[in-house]
Amino acid sequence: MSFLVEQLLNALALAGLLFLVSAGLSLVFGILRVVNFAHGVFYMLGAYLGFTAMAVSGQFWLSLLVVPPVVGVIGGLLERSTLRFIYRRPPIYQLLLTFGLALILEETVRVLYGPTAKPVDAPALLQGAVPILDTLYPRYRLFLVVAVGVGVRLFLARTRAGLVIRAVAQNSEMADCLGANVPRVRTLVFGAACALAGLGGVASAPMTTAYLGMGIGVIVDAFVVVVIGGLGSIGGSMAGSLIVGAAQTWGAFYLPETAMVIMYAVMGAILIFRPWGLFGEEE
Amino acid sequence: MTPVLEARGLGRAFGALLAVNDVSMAVASGELRAVIGPNGAGKTTLFHLISGLLAPTRGRIAFRGEDVTALSAPERCRLGISRTFQITSVFPELSVLENVRIAVQLKAGGNFRLLGGRGLIQASERRARESLAALGLSDRADALAATLPHGDQRLLEIAMAVAQEPELLLLDEPTQGLSPEDTAATVAVIRRIARERQLTILLVEHDMDVVFDLADRVSVLHFGQLIADGTPEEIRANADVQKAYLGGAD
Amino acid sequence: MTPRRARVLGLVTIAVLAVLPWVLARHQLSILVDLLIFGLFAMSLDLIMGYTGMVSFGHAAYFGLGAYGSALLLIHFQPPVPVALLAGALLAGAVAVPVGWFSTRATGIYFAMLTLAFAQLLYTVAYKWRDLTGGSDGIAGVPKTTLFWGGPSLADPHAFYWLVAACLVVSLRACRALTRSPFGRALEAIRENERRFVSLGRDARPFKVVVFVIAALFAGLAGALFAPFRGFASPEVMFWVLSGQALMMVITGGIGTLVGPVIGAMVFLLIQEVLSSYTEHWMIFTGAIFVLMVIFLPGGLVGTARRWMEARG
Repeated sequence: MSFLVEQLLNALALAGLLFLVSAGLSLVFGILRVVNFAHGVFYMLGAYLGFTAMAVSGQFWLSLLVVPPVVGVIGGLLERSTLRFIYRRPPIYQLLLTFGLALILEETVRVLYGPTAKPVDAPALLQGAVPILDTLYPRYRLFLVVAVGVGVRLFLARTRAGLVIRAVAQNSEMADCLGANVPRVRTLVFGAACALAGLGGVASAPMTTAYLGMGIGVIVDAFVVVVIGGLGSIGGSMAGSLIVGAAQTWGAFYLPETAMVIMYAVMGAILIFRPWGLFGEEE
Repeated sequence: MTPVLEARGLGRAFGALLAVNDVSMAVASGELRAVIGPNGAGKTTLFHLISGLLAPTRGRIAFRGEDVTALSAPERCRLGISRTFQITSVFPELSVLENVRIAVQLKAGGNFRLLGGRGLIQASERRARESLAALGLSDRADALAATLPHGDQRLLEIAMAVAQEPELLLLDEPTQGLSPEDTAATVAVIRRIARERQLTILLVEHDMDVVFDLADRVSVLHFGQLIADGTPEEIRANADVQKAYLGGAD
Repeated sequence: MTPRRARVLGLVTIAVLAVLPWVLARHQLSILVDLLIFGLFAMSLDLIMGYTGMVSFGHAAYFGLGAYGSALLLIHFQPPVPVALLAGALLAGAVAVPVGWFSTRATGIYFAMLTLAFAQLLYTVAYKWRDLTGGSDGIAGVPKTTLFWGGPSLADPHAFYWLVAACLVVSLRACRALTRSPFGRALEAIRENERRFVSLGRDARPFKVVVFVIAALFAGLAGALFAPFRGFASPEVMFWVLSGQALMMVITGGIGTLVGPVIGAMVFLLIQEVLSSYTEHWMIFTGAIFVLMVIFLPGGLVGTARRWMEARG
C-alpha cells in the first residue's frame, strides 16, 4: 500500500516537471506553429542558473523567483534575433534553427560551468523526509507534487494569462490571427514558455542536480508527452505528462532496464488509435 | 439504365450539425448536373462524401450500380470518379505537364517502379499533353504550377482530373474567383470536354449564369437538404428555390 | 545545368576521386573516407527529406543499426566486408519497416518527433543490451576483412577507400535513378500536396513507408562501412546529435539535390575538423554557422549555386 502511494507520488512529481516543459512546448506550437527543439535546453539553463543563484544568494526561494524571468528574457531575445526572420518558411526550418540554438546553448553552458554536474540543495524547510503511512518520503518531492499541482490549477483557472492560453489552445485559428499580426505576442509567448521551462529546471535541480544532457533528456520525453497528448493542447500536455510520468516510474521499478521501452510502447499503443494524440487535431 | 451516380438517404453530421441531411439523387450517364445552394448549404460536404474524402454518417452511395460507400477516396478515384477542389489544389513546385502527368500515372499504375520506367513516364506524358491541349494549356506545359495565374491554375485542376479519363467528373466551383472573360472561357471548355469525352459531370457552382448555361439538370441544396431537382427552367420557376435564395435565412 | 554539363561534371568528379589517393597523405585520405561515408548517410536522408518532404529526426538510428550489424558480423564470423555491408543495410531496412509504418501514420512535425522518439528508443536498446552491443563501450576491434572469400584484404587504406568511393558513386546513381522513376515522381507529388495526391487515386502511406525503408537501407550501408573503417561501433553513432547533424548536412548542401547533401556533409565535417583544431567548443560555432545558413541560405550551397547559375543563364 505504502509502496503504491510512494510510486504514485514519484509519478506525479515527474509528471509535474514534464508538464512545465511540455506545456511550454505545446503553447509555442499552438501560437507560433514552431516546434522548439531548444526548449529542453532552457530547462537545463534554468537548473544551472538556479545553481548560480543559490551559490550567490544561498536563497532557494529567491532563485525560484528570479531565474525563470531571466531564462524567459534569454528566450525572448533569441526569438527576436533569429526565429523572427523565418516564420514564413515551412515549419521544418524553424525546428532546424532551434536545433542550432540548442547546440549553441548546450555548449555555452559547458564552457561556463564545465562538464561536471552541479548539485543544488533543497531549502532547509524541505530537506529530509516525511512519514507517509509506514514509509518515509522525501519532502522536496512531495512539495513538487503539491506545488505544481496547485500552481497549474490556479494559474489556468484564475489568471487572465491562463484564460488566453486555454482559448488559444482550443482555437488555433485565433492563434493564427494573434501570431500573424503581432510579433510582440510571439516574443512574449516564446519568452513565457522558456520561463516555464526554466522554472521546471530550477525546481528539478535539487532532485536531479544540474547536468549537461538534461535538456535533451527532457525534450525527448516532452516530445513523447505532446505526441501522446496532442500538440497545442494544454489538457493534452497534462494527460500526456501523467501517462509518461506513470510509465517511467513503474517501468523503472518493474523493468529497470527497459523503462524507456515501456514509455514508447504506451506511445505506440495510443498512436495506433489516435495518430494526432489524445487531444490533438488533425493537421 | 443504371445511373452513373446514385445517392440514397445520404447524411453527414458534424456534432449536432447536419451538414448533409437525407440527400437522395441519381445522375444519369452523360448528364451535366449542377448542385446549387446558398453558402453553407452543404455542397462541398456533399462532394467530399461522393469523392470519399469524408465518410457519411448515414446513407449509401452507388457508382454505376455498385455500392462504393465503404471505399476510400483513392479507390473511388481508380474506379472512375475524379474531382477538382474549390480551393485550388495543385502541385505548386512541379511543372504544369508533370502535374497532369502524375495524375495519369497515379491512376494508370506502375507507381512502384523504383528504377527505370521511362516508357511508362513517356506514355503518361502523351496523355497529359492531350489533356493540356484540350484545356488550352499546352503553351504553359513547362511552367511551374505555382507561377500560373489563378485562372490557369483552375484550368490545370480540371486538366488533371480530365486526364484521368474518369467516368464521373466532380467540379467544385470551377469558376470561383475568375473574371467574367475567364468564366466564359471556362464554361466553354467544360461544355466542349463534356461533349467530346462523353463525361458525366457533377458541378457545384455559385454563379447562376454558369449553372443555367451549362447544366442539363439542377439540384438545389438548402440547409443540407435537397429541396428541388429539375431542369434549369423548372428550377428558375420553383417557388421554394426562390424563397431559399431571396428570403433565405442567410 | 544541361544534362551534358552534369555528365561531364560527374565524370570529372569520378576522375578526381580516382586520383586523390595518390595525392593525399595517409591521414588526409582517412579524413576523406570519413567524408564520403557521411556524405552517403546525408544523401540517404535527402531521399525522404528533400524528395518526399518527410523530415526524420532519427535517421542516425539506421546508420547505427548498419554499424552494429556489420560490426557484429565481422567480429564473430569474419565474412568478406561486402557481406557485412549487405547485412548492415538489411538490418537497418528491416527495423525501418515497423518504425516507418508507425511514423507515417502522422505527418509533418509529428512525424519528426516520432522518428526521434523511435531513434532514442533504439539508442537506449544499444546502450543497455550489454551482452550484445557492449553497452556504452560499444564493439571495438572490428576487422577490415577481404573483398570476397579468398580475395584481397581491405586493410590497405587505398583498398578501403576504393570500396567506400564505389559504394557512394553507385548509391548516388541508384538514388538518382530512383528519383526519376515513376515511384520517385510520385514521391515529389506527395511532398508538394499530399491531399491532392490522395484524391488522384493512391494512398500516400505505402509510398512513404517504402521510401523510408530505402533511405534506411542506404543509411545502414553508410553505417556498415563506418564500423570496419573506424574499427568500432558505439551507441554514439545512433545518438540524436548525429541525426541532427545529418539534417544540418542536408540543409547546408541543398535539400532535394542528392549531391548537395554529399557536399554538405563534406563541408560540414571539414568546418568541424578545422574548428576543433582551434577550440574544443567548436559546437558553438557550428551551431551558429548552421543558424545563419538556415536564415540566409535556405537552398543550401548547391541550391544557391544553381539559382545563381540560372540567373546568369
